Amino acid sequence: MESETAIKISNLGKKYSIGTQKEGTLRSALANAFKSSAKKGEDFWALRNVSFNIPRGEVVGIIGKNGAGKSTLLKLISQITKPTEGKIEIHGRVASLLEVGTGFHPELTGKENIFLNGTILGMSRKEVKSKLDEIVAFSGIEKFINTPVKHYSSGMYVRLAFAVAAHLEPEILIIDEVLAVGDAEFQKKCLGKMDEVAKTGRTVLFVSHNMAAVKNLCSHGILIEKGEVAFNGSINDAISKYNSMGAEKKLIFNTSDYKTRKRGLHQIFIDSVQINQNNYLPSSEFSIQLKIAQNEGFSGKIEISIFVFDQLNNTIFQLSTYYYTTPIFYQEDATYQFHLDKIGLSPGFYKIGVWLSGNGIEQDYVEEDITLEIDSGNIYEIQTANISSIVQKEFIFSVLKNEKY
Amino acid sequence: MDTKVIDSNKNKIFPDFRELIRYKDLFWTLSWRDFRVRYAQTTIGFLWAFLQPIVTLLMLTLVFNQFAGVKTDIPYIIFAVCGLSMWTYFSYVMTNSGVSIIQNQDMVKKIYFPRLIIPLSKALVGLIDFGITIGILIVLMIYYQIPPANTIFLAPIFMLFGILSALGVGIWLSALTVRFRDFQHIVPFFVQIGLFATPVAYPSELVSTRLPKWAESIYYLNPMAGVVQGFRWSIFGGEPPSNMILISFTVVLLLFISGLMYFKKVESEMADYV
Repeated sequence: MESETAIKISNLGKKYSIGTQKEGTLRSALANAFKSSAKKGEDFWALRNVSFNIPRGEVVGIIGKNGAGKSTLLKLISQITKPTEGKIEIHGRVASLLEVGTGFHPELTGKENIFLNGTILGMSRKEVKSKLDEIVAFSGIEKFINTPVKHYSSGMYVRLAFAVAAHLEPEILIIDEVLAVGDAEFQKKCLGKMDEVAKTGRTVLFVSHNMAAVKNLCSHGILIEKGEVAFNGSINDAISKYNSMGAEKKLIFNTSDYKTRKRGLHQIFIDSVQINQNNYLPSSEFSIQLKIAQNEGFSGKIEISIFVFDQLNNTIFQLSTYYYTTPIFYQEDATYQFHLDKIGLSPGFYKIGVWLSGNGIEQDYVEEDITLEIDSGNIYEIQTANISSIVQKEFIFSVLKNEKY
Repeated sequence: MDTKVIDSNKNKIFPDFRELIRYKDLFWTLSWRDFRVRYAQTTIGFLWAFLQPIVTLLMLTLVFNQFAGVKTDIPYIIFAVCGLSMWTYFSYVMTNSGVSIIQNQDMVKKIYFPRLIIPLSKALVGLIDFGITIGILIVLMIYYQIPPANTIFLAPIFMLFGILSALGVGIWLSALTVRFRDFQHIVPFFVQIGLFATPVAYPSELVSTRLPKWAESIYYLNPMAGVVQGFRWSIFGGEPPSNMILISFTVVLLLFISGLMYFKKVESEMADYV
């Protein structure tokens, strides 16, 4: 039935031309005007053949890897940009929070910005006025409401911005990762508000990498992969599909081109390195396997070290056979493996270095091209995801009474 | 329940005016923001709005009247302020609309609203400066005891054409600057030569008496040439403008209508380019 559908998408596609940087110049536009079939830049479909229906009142989580096309989808639905092909039907007023605080002006006071931001988000001035007290109270910064926002701390800024957004009353709400901001307490408040919105029967589209939040809030999930809908169904199935996506093994390195590597004697050398996934969550299992080849009849003890660096080249941790009491002897057809139950790193990009020695002499070192990408989340799988440390540890906490230490 | 259909195959030629009216609150708020922020953190604040036209006026009088000896029927300073009021409005809207979309790119990238609201709000803010120079004009007219001509009732029509002309150019430039940043550099140049290519500081009779007919018709391709001349005539009377100003008014209407059409054409993909 028509009235039961909130959003109907058919054959949606969005094409971008790669290398538009040059196309935006006056010179190339003038040049193209004279060349009728000028050679165009390469095309890239950020989204293609996407069709689905979202029933009214459904809370839908849209998940997928970075660059899968989630944000493009939201941009099309919220009419920020136009589809290249296909059609979108929307029944009801849409508000999108692709980022809180849009249009905030630093010179204006908090109160003035509430009006500004509210009208940008589609409220009328009258609506904002009637909700002003509520918004100010929700933000918790009553004291500074007449201060220009340039004097605000970033936390206060976000609180105010979210407070405005939380008081929108659209029939369809589109949210992209706004929860990645603010402190834990404030995040809880926001999630509560979203839950409230969802419970009043409004349609919500929620894009996030925070699987725990998605799982809690959404009933339905759409998995986007490489610009297409890979799965559309219950949220639990969508999440498990998403998690299994990264489970293919990834061969990162496979060459006997050890000669170009400067370090080591190369009597034995690293032939290939494999890590167990393409994308990791902080809680993912991690294993790295390597094969070692030899140049001349090598035999004897070997040592292998794995280094994990952050983007600033700080060594975050090191796994090494040095810490192993039993010596390891070289075997030509063996695969050597290090394993961690949980990788325990916060979201971001990391680099891996593999170091090899044989009979106490440095033999080889590989560092290029071995990168790890960790997606949002945390090893505790709780919703409040912002953990400021690089390494995340599991721990046991207890409250001890009447005990001495 | 409002239903909206976004169809990649359907393209409208003109902006949705009913939608623009629905977003009128945003129009007011953005204009108000510009006004509010404009003199923020300045010591003399709103006084700048008076100081700028007064100093420009004195310079024009000094250079054109005293040095170059431009003669006018009415006291030169009144003559100049009248033209300046229209020209200042036009150049304000042209300069500010041009960069308005890229200046508000964080909004454009994240929220949908009719993008036309942005350049439109600049046209409203410009009216404040226009009002101030008109105020100066009235004060000077009282001081020199020059009564308005009986054609004064036509002044609003010329003002309207002035606004349409500023909007037409502003809308064109705001859309073009998104795609071609070159226009950021072209606009200040336009403003500079426009002041001399418009009868602001000299009477248009100079143009008609010293230029051949064909060159005069090129001169009136400048939309503001006709607007400024007509506006001044409606206030002070005298010799009515020649048919040449019809060229200007045709250009104004063409610019405005084509501006709306071009803007509509590129509006839906602005977020991809800013």
